[in-house]
Amino acid sequence: MNVARTTWRAGVLAAGLAAGAAAPAAAQKAEWTDVVYVPGRWVAGHVAAQADSLALVMQVDYFSAPPRWRAEVRRTADGQTMGPADIIVGSGRQAVVVTQLGTTPLEQHVLGRDPLVRALVVFDAAGRRTGAASGRIVERAADGTTGRIVYRRQARNPDFDAALLDPGAKAGGRTLLASGISAVGDQRSSSVVATAGARGVDRVSTPGGQVPVRPDTMAIVRMEHVSVGAMALEAFLRAGGLGVYAAPPDSAGRHP
Amino acid sequence: MSRATRTAILGALALLPAARPAAAQSLFDRLRQAASVARTLLPISTQKEVEIGRGIAATIAGRYPVSTDAALTRYVNLVGLTVASVAPRPDISYHYAVLETPDVNAFAAPGGYIFITRGALRLIHSESELAGVLAHETGHVNARHVINQIRKSDTMREVKDQIDIQGGVLDQLVGSGSNMLFMGLSRGDELEADSLGLEYAAAAGYDPAGLGAFISRLSQHAGEGPLADFYATHPRPDERVERLTAISQREHLAGGVILAERYKENVR
Repeated sequence: MNVARTTWRAGVLAAGLAAGAAAPAAAQKAEWTDVVYVPGRWVAGHVAAQADSLALVMQVDYFSAPPRWRAEVRRTADGQTMGPADIIVGSGRQAVVVTQLGTTPLEQHVLGRDPLVRALVVFDAAGRRTGAASGRIVERAADGTTGRIVYRRQARNPDFDAALLDPGAKAGGRTLLASGISAVGDQRSSSVVATAGARGVDRVSTPGGQVPVRPDTMAIVRMEHVSVGAMALEAFLRAGGLGVYAAPPDSAGRHP
Repeated sequence: MSRATRTAILGALALLPAARPAAAQSLFDRLRQAASVARTLLPISTQKEVEIGRGIAATIAGRYPVSTDAALTRYVNLVGLTVASVAPRPDISYHYAVLETPDVNAFAAPGGYIFITRGALRLIHSESELAGVLAHETGHVNARHVINQIRKSDTMREVKDQIDIQGGVLDQLVGSGSNMLFMGLSRGDELEADSLGLEYAAAAGYDPAGLGAFISRLSQHAGEGPLADFYATHPRPDERVERLTAISQREHLAGGVILAERYKENVR
């Protein structure tokens, strides 16, 4: 791949998307989540064919103010644990992948070779969402077989910073959830908060004396990317009789 | 007066030089001076707290490797988030991880980075005990114990603005905070975290006796190598258990779920 040309094209595309920022200020904001399944079941990191079963493959959080939009894509390799978010920012049907170092057109990024990711561009040329606003969406292949099944849930009160939709703005590269990336999307900055604060520490005091340490910032990035969704937590509470499912106290105020 | 303000004033009170014989100084004067010192300590914003906490967490992960067992990490996060969900700090995200070491310990870095060791997990018998330990650590984060100590550090005395907490200053604060965690927090901070942990675990629906049961078991292993650092950095177990029992009785805390089987299924 010609890196210089790619960078130039990405820059032009990003600039084009940024120019979209001048779009009508009153653009209707929308926010929704797609939970994507494919037929099959997870076996050792791969989806094995199984007609009567669905395998969870990704969750996508969308933020939209036509013509601009943003998709935060979390994929899973076991059907249970979501990985870190890949961020795609778009205007109409154009899309770039936001990385720590800049932006790359989706079709030139490795993500663009994944048909499931390409299918995430659910927008027309004007940046309006295609397909249902919420509910169960079944997409079929040309031969009539089920391709993917999407459960879409729309947020009632979309409330997000419009800068998230701008790949050139500092906030544009930030995921709404903590992702460890501090400044991305403009090619001049590649600072990563993950490295801050631990560079100068090479030994620590312990009750047994000083011991050498080598700070492991990537372990903390991985720690931050462990994803436990609200639904998983609620299922956990329910199964254990915890939280709102805990038994109420008796008349004397004692918990039974 | 908020707990944070009270803590800051009491901390500053301890720092006050004896300008004149204590007997000749009224309590009112000392409190007034303490409040004045507390006001001069630069507050640390949540954003800076998280930055400092990330650095401290990276240092902890540099001493003990973080477990890559995804199922175990997820379970510990579920238990941690269950107790954190009743804790009053919506401004931070909590992250829980397991450290691969036979040492028995747990650490809470500012900003919500909480660790428990594999050695501690081996001594724990039920989910309510795990919840008690994680709730105790969550209590340290919520009461900003490390951050409050960092505010009093020599490095912070030179800092005039939040924006100065970066680069070398940030590195120094991370180093100070890391040493605090490995050397142990104050007895008062540990006991306060016990109280908060008991409160959080019970509010989440766990048996509030979990934390006390774990601490009691530690005393049976006193003198063993993996517990050396723990004993050196925490108040005596019998004192902690007595205090936890007293609080439970006073607050009528009883019942709740233990979930020993679920713990065994998830922690092997």
